[in-house]
Amino acid sequence: MANNETDIKIVAFLCNWCTFTAADLAGTSRLKYAPNIRIVKVMCSSRIEPVFILKVLLDGADGVFIGGCAPGDCHYSKGNFYARRKVALAKTLAKSAGLDSERIRLSWIPASEGPRFAHVVNEFTAHIKELGDNPARREVYI
Amino acid sequence: METMIDSRMMMTDFLTALFDKLDVAGVAVMSKLPSGEKTAFTLFTGKDDIKECVPFFPAMPANAARAVSKFTRQAVPSKTVAVFLRPCELRAFTELIKIKQASFDNLLILSYDCSGVFPFQEINLSDETKLNAYRDAVSTGKNCEGIRPVCAACTRFTPQGEDIAISFVGRSTDQPLVFSFPSEKGLAAAEQLGLDVSNTVAASSAVESLAQERRSAEEELTAEVDASLSDTQGLVNVFDRCVSCHACSYVCPICYCKNCYFDSQTFEYFPESYFIRMQAKGALRFPVDRVLFHLGRLSHMGVSCVACGMCEDVCPVNIPVSQIFKTAGSKAQALFDYIPGENYDEPLPLLAYAEQELEEFED
Repeated sequence: MANNETDIKIVAFLCNWCTFTAADLAGTSRLKYAPNIRIVKVMCSSRIEPVFILKVLLDGADGVFIGGCAPGDCHYSKGNFYARRKVALAKTLAKSAGLDSERIRLSWIPASEGPRFAHVVNEFTAHIKELGDNPARREVYI
Repeated sequence: METMIDSRMMMTDFLTALFDKLDVAGVAVMSKLPSGEKTAFTLFTGKDDIKECVPFFPAMPANAARAVSKFTRQAVPSKTVAVFLRPCELRAFTELIKIKQASFDNLLILSYDCSGVFPFQEINLSDETKLNAYRDAVSTGKNCEGIRPVCAACTRFTPQGEDIAISFVGRSTDQPLVFSFPSEKGLAAAEQLGLDVSNTVAASSAVESLAQERRSAEEELTAEVDASLSDTQGLVNVFDRCVSCHACSYVCPICYCKNCYFDSQTFEYFPESYFIRMQAKGALRFPVDRVLFHLGRLSHMGVSCVACGMCEDVCPVNIPVSQIFKTAGSKAQALFDYIPGENYDEPLPLLAYAEQELEEFED
């Protein structure tokens, strides 16, 4: 099935203190960005487990986006360092298992950077569009 | 490398001496079962049944790290217990210590360079032909035909962290035991056993030749697994036989959780959600989340996977689980520069971090 702009589904896990606030700012600033992401707010990016990322991909979403505070700026001082290890593990396992690790992206977006949030979302959506449908999307036997 | 000495003791003499001279409370070791064909890891509290012990028998009915965890987890044994662990079991045991599921206090850990084991269903005490071939392979430092694929590709077959090491590869089992003592506890034991440390023996060249064979077997295995899991279709094909029995997790020495996340209510969905997923995919296979179970389990224990091979042994539908876990686990371990079972002081990778690292995964 051919992809169209609204067909792409990206699940985004955003930390409450930085990237979610940046998304909120992008909204209140009336910035327009690709409408493909579905945001799940988490209190800290380290709440994300590799299982979340892998489940999203196995169930057929085309991309997984994880957003957190910049290193050194974590609301809980070191949560994002743990998050980075978990995302690195998820990407490595995805790659070993034959899933496309390019569909996973981790970005640090501070609360005050609404325009950067919009830019990163656009960029990642375009990248996913290039990759095409996640083959797992219609895979019944997975 | 520690000096190796000729103990002038056969295995039965050594086991007797453990009770008589070291005054151990027990010896945990592989032993013959009354039915006469199979073996089990058994804790003996006296020397009466020593003739039933077969420490080197090439089978692993259970990863012994799990057994030793049972009697050390909640309290330290009141008296020294001697335990025989294969190198992979010892590595699993070290990982269990890190997650507070075991303790090495009051244990005297005996290990040896391991020639691998046969799948449990495929080896009996009466299989003379197989056992003779195995003995030949041990003494010449070769892989024996028929051992577990992950054993044949195991490059960490020399123990790490033991108190007494018994030299096995390149030796004959009808010769006296050759020991080395890498720890303080081991040296103290050597003294109590009254061993003459001047009877040194040279290391066998068979160890290096086995290491070489294992390295190339490991490369081949990695290439095979990578080829089978090159894309989503490959992933589906590899696991499509899985019946979701979860036996692989029940025998895994690292999977210590009493209530596995993947057996929990988290994966019992509201009926409506099955219909939503069915509509999205056009159909839905039951049970759901089979591949997720394997990848999720990998994410939980993969960095600690010691590639012991238990999971593959018990798989009722012959999925090469441990070959996949060994391959994917090694890549995850390399990511964090982590070797499971190397050092009990080292924290698990997901419980540690460096401020500057893994830059290729962030932006």
